Amino acid sequence: MTHVLEVSGLTTTFTKNEKAFKVVDDLSLYVRKGEALGIVGESGCGKSVASLSLMRLLGKNGKTEGSILLNGQKILSCSEHEMQNIRGKEMAMIFQEPMTSLNPVLTIGRQMSEGLEKHEGMKRAQSKEKVIELLTQVGIARANEIYHEYPHRLSGGMRQRVMIAMAIACNPKLLIADEPTTALDVTIQAQILQLIQNVRTERGTSLIMITHDLGVVAETCDRVMVMYAGQVIESADVRTLLRNPKHPYTIGLIQSTPHRSKGQKRLYSIAGSVPTPEEYPQGCRFAPRCDKAMPVCLEQNPQLLAVDQASDCRCWLYQEHTKGTAVNA
Amino acid sequence: MSEINKAVTVRSMWRKERQLPRFELLGKIMQRKKAKYSFLMMLGIIVIGIIGPWIAPHDPTKTYYEAFMQGPSKQFWLGTDAIGRDILSRLLYGTRVTLTAAVMASAMTFVVGTLIGVTSAYIGGFFDNLIMRIMDVLLALPGIVLALAIVAALGPSQENAMIAIGIASIPGFSILVRGAALSIKESGYVEASRSIGSSNWWIIINQLIPNIANVLIVYTTMFIGGAILSTSALGFIGLGAQPPTPEWGTMLNEGKDYLREAWWLATFPGIAITVVVFTVYMLGDALRDIFDPKA
Ligand SMILES: Nc1ncnc2c1ncn2[C@@H]1O[C@H](COP(=O)(O)OP(=O)(O)O)[C@@H](O)[C@H]1O
Ligand SMILES: [Mg+2]
Repeated sequence: MTHVLEVSGLTTTFTKNEKAFKVVDDLSLYVRKGEALGIVGESGCGKSVASLSLMRLLGKNGKTEGSILLNGQKILSCSEHEMQNIRGKEMAMIFQEPMTSLNPVLTIGRQMSEGLEKHEGMKRAQSKEKVIELLTQVGIARANEIYHEYPHRLSGGMRQRVMIAMAIACNPKLLIADEPTTALDVTIQAQILQLIQNVRTERGTSLIMITHDLGVVAETCDRVMVMYAGQVIESADVRTLLRNPKHPYTIGLIQSTPHRSKGQKRLYSIAGSVPTPEEYPQGCRFAPRCDKAMPVCLEQNPQLLAVDQASDCRCWLYQEHTKGTAVNA
Repeated sequence: MSEINKAVTVRSMWRKERQLPRFELLGKIMQRKKAKYSFLMMLGIIVIGIIGPWIAPHDPTKTYYEAFMQGPSKQFWLGTDAIGRDILSRLLYGTRVTLTAAVMASAMTFVVGTLIGVTSAYIGGFFDNLIMRIMDVLLALPGIVLALAIVAALGPSQENAMIAIGIASIPGFSILVRGAALSIKESGYVEASRSIGSSNWWIIINQLIPNIANVLIVYTTMFIGGAILSTSALGFIGLGAQPPTPEWGTMLNEGKDYLREAWWLATFPGIAITVVVFTVYMLGDALRDIFDPKA
């Protein structure tokens, strides 16, 4: 199968007060045609920065290195003008905050038709027809009226539908969804996830689903990568990861995800919090919070290595020859 | 009674439903006392500016040899000046001269200042820094001094005064606009718009500028007030409109030597300038209250 997206060694550095911080560190991934890849991690571990880097949407102080191949095209060597032709046409993005992602002073129709007019060269009448068709497809009733409405008259769920319609308008091959349901009510979340699933199956779009919720991954993705403090720490297909997690962080994440069928008393939570890029430790970045940490963990960061046929993991526990006694236990 | 109430509610709901944001402003102006009166006064002044030449009782440049420096009378309501011209008629004609100059100057400031401010904010980085440092340097000179320098270079005339005032206000205006545009630039919808491939120009024209329209309206109103003052000031020192053009600043200058013998010469143009500038500033202030009730 062909890879729609191939990323290797993606590193994004921010400069704050003359000091450089790697917020995304050596990220490599691929997405097959029609496949859904999940990226999971607690908030603050660099997921949004990674997705913005893929789209080349970072502000001036973020610097991205490595290689991004989208359908064989080298994204990092494109000019800004070339990027404008790629964004929306080859890849598009759905953001976390539907409430702030639409311009309050432009009608829905005006905002949605821009992509169509730019990428497909449509005139206003054509694009209007297409926008109304798209709005209907994403489950918005009265699309004719909504076309002329301003965003403030729409609920969060409806706005996210509009954002999805806007993202898929020109049939991009890759869709990046950055926590598309986090800001929504629980009941709406399921609807939006279903909508994204429908879009994928109907159009054969590849998807990168970014989330902090393993439940979302379980429902929508084929493969998943777990990110911690800017690095991938485990990667596997969804079934393997959920049934047979390797990394202590992944195990903790699974334990702290609410489960519908089991009547849980109290939810487990991993002690401590994600360090900021300024305070990434020298050894394994998860070691300070890990109950299996060994002396070597504090000294040296392990490599992301294949543990078995199904999973890759960045943990000393699986890098033979290093087994020792736990320090934090 | 309740039927009537219901009808009123339904109608106001219907109105709200139909109201587009850009038509809400007039409604809001009419709801507020200060805004309403200053707006109506401004409207009155503009009407005078338009119909002034038709309602003026005399030719503003005609000399009445039998009436040099006559005080207010039945024939000449506000008196005549040192060479026997009707002051009321000159004031009425002058409204148009002053308003035209101020509005044209402000229009120039608006277009160029908005462009500089918004582009500088959007592009950011070195370009932004460079542009803003240049504006800072220009701003270090008081606007009127900059205007004086420009008129001195171009030569004194009404058009040149207008151009000078317009240019001199650009630095202040563009710095204010840049500040407003910066916050919009960071917004989610600009990012979302970029994510579907919108070009920078499209974003500047369609996303940034409409979102700072409020701020632009307020600043432009305030700058018109300033431009009226500057027009009169340049006229007063003889670098603006040239005689016999009936311009308020020029009239003030012509009257200043006769304050004791003929107070009406300088007093009425002075009042005219004061009233108009006051009205414009009041309106600007009221508009700011409407757009930003917290400040
Ligand atoms: N524009 C920026 N400049 C500097 N630091 C940033 C910027 N954006 C994000 N960061 C930092 O990068 C880290 C990762 O942020 P983010 O990617 O938003 O996390 P996530 O999406 O996983 O919650 C955070 O520590 C954040 O402070
Ligand atoms: Mg995020």
